Amino acid sequence: MTDNRSRNGHRNGVAPGWHSPHNHYLLFADRVYKTYPDGAVRALNGVSLGVHAGEYVAITGPSGCGKSTLLNMLGVLDRPDAGEIYFRGEALTTRCDLDHFRARQIGFVFQSFFLIPTLTARENVQVPMFEGPRRTARQRAQKADELLALVGMSQRAHHRPMKLSVGERQRVAIARALANDPVLLLADEPTGNLDSENADKVLDLFTKLQKDRHLALIVVTHSDEVAERADRVIKMRDGRVVADSGAEIIPTPDPAATS
Amino acid sequence: MYFVSFILKNLARRPIRTVLTVLGLAVAVGSMIALLAVSYNVERSVEAAFDSRRVDLVVMQKGKPMGWDSEFSEYFVRETAKMPEVERVSEGIVGNANIERDGVLVDLGILLVQGWKPDNFGYEDLEILEGRRLQAGDRRKVMIGRTLANNLKELAKIGPIGHRVGDTLTFVGDPKNPYEIVGIFKSPVIFEDGGAIVPFEDGQALHSKRGKVTGFSVRVRKSAPDSHAEVETVKRKIEALRDPDDPYVVVVADTPDKYVQSVSQLELIRAVSWLVSAIALAVSVISLLNTMTMSVLERTQEIGILRAVGWPRGRVVRMILGEAACLAAAAALVGTVIAFIGMQTLTQMPKVNGFIEPDLSPWVVARGFALTVLVGVVGGAYPAYRAARLLPTEAIRHD
Repeated sequence: MTDNRSRNGHRNGVAPGWHSPHNHYLLFADRVYKTYPDGAVRALNGVSLGVHAGEYVAITGPSGCGKSTLLNMLGVLDRPDAGEIYFRGEALTTRCDLDHFRARQIGFVFQSFFLIPTLTARENVQVPMFEGPRRTARQRAQKADELLALVGMSQRAHHRPMKLSVGERQRVAIARALANDPVLLLADEPTGNLDSENADKVLDLFTKLQKDRHLALIVVTHSDEVAERADRVIKMRDGRVVADSGAEIIPTPDPAATS
Repeated sequence: MYFVSFILKNLARRPIRTVLTVLGLAVAVGSMIALLAVSYNVERSVEAAFDSRRVDLVVMQKGKPMGWDSEFSEYFVRETAKMPEVERVSEGIVGNANIERDGVLVDLGILLVQGWKPDNFGYEDLEILEGRRLQAGDRRKVMIGRTLANNLKELAKIGPIGHRVGDTLTFVGDPKNPYEIVGIFKSPVIFEDGGAIVPFEDGQALHSKRGKVTGFSVRVRKSAPDSHAEVETVKRKIEALRDPDDPYVVVVADTPDKYVQSVSQLELIRAVSWLVSAIALAVSVISLLNTMTMSVLERTQEIGILRAVGWPRGRVVRMILGEAACLAAAAALVGTVIAFIGMQTLTQMPKVNGFIEPDLSPWVVARGFALTVLVGVVGGAYPAYRAARLLPTEAIRHD
């Protein structure tokens, strides 16, 4: 008999029972575990959470609590040791085209911007477009111009990252994250390297994008100001979700029982 | 922005390293192209000469792959000429000789002096630039190739030495019999351009091979221009000949292309060319491997970001291989220029200019380019593999 169980043991990648609400979420993490090879401590210890389309979620917690690891799992940059990530009800960890999925559905913003130094702002924004919907070079440039205008960087389009202020770099990075019109934006400490004025600009931009584009936004942050702007704040400690200001709190199962 | 533009911008990131890598590769590639060209030109010129002289078979002593050391009795020439299928034969005596000036050896490197009869096929495609060709009854006369004439002209600036028509040359070992230069010629065979031709009997005396020949060429009467049957028959008959005075001497009759492949000097040139080319290629691969590995290591975070934004491993591989291939292509271009300049320079050197033709044929350049692109792919393969294996999360965390 053919058994289409996913790695968490759920038939056809669909979670059974009480946490079937994954179908209602844009993104749903179902009892995700992760231990790094060099770490004795579990970075994620059975985290479950769901994020709706257009929702602005902040994940907070002390350093080493597993925020960034969770973000990597949600962005399918890494695979969980156990558990499953669902996107619109579809299990992701069994998919073999995760690059393709990331290119089209997810945008990433990092604390250190990670712009390519040899490319201008306009060219940096085009980098993800090589893998997005098919576009000609002219269409890619046009799209980059639109996005740079959206983040208020049109005047600096032909400057390389070294010639931009840190705030400007982050805005270019946000434009890059929007290159393929994703439905989900993941940001890891996006204001961590910015002064308060630039941080405000970036946060305003996030709010604008969330509202105008109905983007789901998940931001990992230490900053209370960032968290205050979110629709929902999730607090983590020791690889678990310990508080969720959202209405739906999905209980973390007993790890001993799961293992 | 095009993907190719992205690749080129990556190379422009460290311009000095890129230029140095290209130059390093170009020197290796240039020497490879130059050597391949030397080998190719030598073979081509010999083959072309046999072709234009309509030679069907080249007869040499068996087991004497050097060519020059072949030596057998004129009996074989006479018997071959009698064969009904044979149209004409043309024998020659070939050897290395030296020129002296006031009893002192003039170092010209290898100087090939051939002894030809007046009806030698070779005269048919010699172009007389000055003076006249050798004629029946000439003795102690010499025709010199244009390259030798130029070399002698240069030497004449230091001290008196014959280099013009009417001047004399003295060969080492025969100081009492100077040879009068009667003509300067241009030959399709580069060795001949750098050498001299004397009357057949003088050649035998000069090379101490009286009654002997080094080899001979045969024109076969054929029923059709591309008929091989008659050639095969004559070949068998010649190889079956035995000199009654020296029955142990055996000759081998080869078609010109087979002869060119079997001459050990040409084989040696070919082998050395490929050996040095292989070393140059290996050095190029290692150099490129080093550059690209460093480049990938430096860009670990960046590659992680590319993977994060959705670039699949295949595109990362294409990017790294593209960079390596661009470096290799640039090296091939510069290397071709280096090869051309190198060959031009070599042809100015008297000791080797009689053996080197400065032409770079498109075939040799294309082969050089193909090998260089192969270097690019091989040299970029491991760094590309490493880059593709990077996990986005680990690469982003890399410091």
